[in-house]
Amino acid sequence: MTTLPFPRAPEPGRPDEEACRLTLARLNAASEPRVVVVGNPNTGKTTLINALAGTHLKVGNWAGVTVEKREAQLTVGGRPVRLLDLPGAYSLSPHTPEELVTRTALLDEAPDVILNVLDAGNLERNLYLTLQLLDFQVPLAVNLNLVDEARSKGLTVDAAALSRALGVPVTETVASRGQGTAGLLDGALRGATLGVGVRYSPPIEAAAAELIARMEERSTLPPHARRYLALALLEGDPSVRGRLSATGHQDLIAQADTLLTRLAGEDVDALIEIAEARYARAGDLARLAVPEAQARRTLSERLDRLALHPVFGVPLFLALVLLVFRLTFSVASPFVDLIGGPLQETVAGWSAALLAPLPILRDIVVGAIIPGVGTVLSFLPTLLVLYLAMSFLEDSGYLARAAFLMDRTMRSLGLDGRAFIPLILGFGCNVPAVGATRTLERHSDRVIVSMILPFMSCSARLPVYVIFAAALFPRSGSWIVWGMYVLGMLVAFAFAWVLRRAAYPSEGGGVLLELPPYRFPAPRVLWKHAWRRTASFARRARTTVLATVAGVWLLLAVPAVAGGHFASVAPQDSVFGRAAQAVSPLFAPLGFGTWQATGALVPGFIAKEVVVGTLGQIYLGEQAATPAPLGLVAGLGSALEATGQAIGTSLAALPTVFALPSLSAGASAPSPLSAALARAFSPASGLSYLVFVLLYTPCIVTVGAIAQEHGRRVAWLTVGSQLLIAWALAWVAFHLARGLL
Amino acid sequence: MNECPLDDLHPGEAGHIVALERTHPLRRRLLELGFVRGARVDVVRRAPMGDPVELRVGGTDLALRRQDLRGIRVRR
Repeated sequence: MTTLPFPRAPEPGRPDEEACRLTLARLNAASEPRVVVVGNPNTGKTTLINALAGTHLKVGNWAGVTVEKREAQLTVGGRPVRLLDLPGAYSLSPHTPEELVTRTALLDEAPDVILNVLDAGNLERNLYLTLQLLDFQVPLAVNLNLVDEARSKGLTVDAAALSRALGVPVTETVASRGQGTAGLLDGALRGATLGVGVRYSPPIEAAAAELIARMEERSTLPPHARRYLALALLEGDPSVRGRLSATGHQDLIAQADTLLTRLAGEDVDALIEIAEARYARAGDLARLAVPEAQARRTLSERLDRLALHPVFGVPLFLALVLLVFRLTFSVASPFVDLIGGPLQETVAGWSAALLAPLPILRDIVVGAIIPGVGTVLSFLPTLLVLYLAMSFLEDSGYLARAAFLMDRTMRSLGLDGRAFIPLILGFGCNVPAVGATRTLERHSDRVIVSMILPFMSCSARLPVYVIFAAALFPRSGSWIVWGMYVLGMLVAFAFAWVLRRAAYPSEGGGVLLELPPYRFPAPRVLWKHAWRRTASFARRARTTVLATVAGVWLLLAVPAVAGGHFASVAPQDSVFGRAAQAVSPLFAPLGFGTWQATGALVPGFIAKEVVVGTLGQIYLGEQAATPAPLGLVAGLGSALEATGQAIGTSLAALPTVFALPSLSAGASAPSPLSAALARAFSPASGLSYLVFVLLYTPCIVTVGAIAQEHGRRVAWLTVGSQLLIAWALAWVAFHLARGLL
Repeated sequence: MNECPLDDLHPGEAGHIVALERTHPLRRRLLELGFVRGARVDVVRRAPMGDPVELRVGGTDLALRRQDLRGIRVRR
């Protein structure tokens, strides 16, 4: 970077040639110009970024917040350029973490060019942000995206007229089809100018000038942001006030307050006047650019007649949710079984053969590392299918409708309609559901929803219910299974009610739900989103899960009795077995105080689907120990065969996801494990066990996700409170059932 | 003449903004979304349980709860 002066603010309402010249000089001097891309949500900005950056795109997180950061290092017109995509924002007075990130980046990142992406079909609303961006002294280029959609609505945009009025270059694209994206960045770098901002009323301009004059006395405030900061102070923007007071500019705030009092004395409400001036200008510009403003009835309106129908809206929503779960369950579960079963066995067999000369290493690899990796991998099919389905519903605009439909229901918990979406997702898998709490605006809402989420019975818990229902309640099994789901929801709502009152009072404020137009998501973008989320889960989870699985294995391998041998000790004589025995009296009041029942709960902390397997190991004495060594060819053959079977099962399941769900839980034939469980548990203690399994703790991966979103304190608080709630309700279930059954 | 809170309008009716209450919890956001003096607001529909209410302002659809509509005064 060179030390060329920042251009001074041009006279508002008129481009300043001197300023433009300085801007270009600065830009040419920048060794690696930074282009930031800014736009409203739902303008197709992500698709545009993908088209511009392609494989160079790097996705990370903004420091300190869970907002995605997308950037790319590109070569444009023969020189390096840094492209930074800022999160979607409706305005620069932040209301969401995304808007705060965008505003902060504009202040701190000293961008050389702003590329502003607009939805050509919704100009007036989008131009509000453009006019705020023109209050920054940073060269701007405007890109109208989604022009095809605008045309289908009967809106023709006159880009040339808009460009003349704004004083900045205006381009048109259909990013989803790659139209107009080539040369877009080059054009923006060459053509971007300071443009013509809004001229506010004389009292406001006078007040802003006074604030800017004071800012010029110091070098700590970035010159490109002074006019913006002055106006934000006059609008009473609380986050700008907070930021300035934290950086030692109390005098500016005091001066702004004096000015605001003076303005109030002249009967000027700065906040209203500034918004009105921007909207008046945006309205003028929108009319300029859209000669035939008569829009046709859109597809969105017709779809909403059905989706938001007073009678059919909610049933349609519930049917869609059911469809997503059936899709997840039927299409993903053959692959989950494949990874957890044949593939894992094959790899274990190879490892056993390879490492036969080193028994200790072999035991560690086969007993701890492979199952650990297998556990992480076995989550992936479920997550991928769930993420694909959810990205589709989200990007199509439907999830916003679901929030609209469910708002009234969620209000009784002090939450809004958007909070229903993570909860519903939780039925599939709690992990992506925790990530989905990011869509909530208020911090307290995010924390509460994350903490109650694990009560939503995820698909991994279903096998436990099914096997117990078959063993102990052969005739009313389906009711037991459904009862678990309902109990989970009731407990979740009750816990939310308690948390709201006891720990996280509502921050108040109104609720505003956006209803963006429906859009058919581009399959490539969907796939990219879903794949990236799944991969990032695998990266995050591998350490925790591996460490936990290895830890449990080690405890099972270390003998607690004299004369036992490492890795060849009976489970009840291992440290693990002894520990389970030691804590099992705690569970006696719940009806299952045996070390077997208690011990099987521990692996459930790693992943719920392991509980059934562990029950099998313990009750049937199945040896999970050394697998038979496999030859390369034999292993490959059986693995391929199993993969083929899984694909076949998955494809065959596709048509059945549309069929009506059947309550088939009680119908399955009694397995040896069912028979063993029927001997070990009474109906009352079995029910109590199920209630405990439903409620006792999120799996370690969910705990990790909660810790990442809200910190370790919240994560451990969740685990602790759930253990207590599970114990208490299992006790109630046991005693109720013993009295009744 | 004929001023009322936005809450009084039924689906299918439209009004023009007269004022936002000073203490409205969403005042700043509504202004940014175009709820400025004179802007036209269409009441599109109510959610199945009567609340929230879908509105259209300047080509944008959004939903507000009825309690938040009371602080928005419109002219029919």
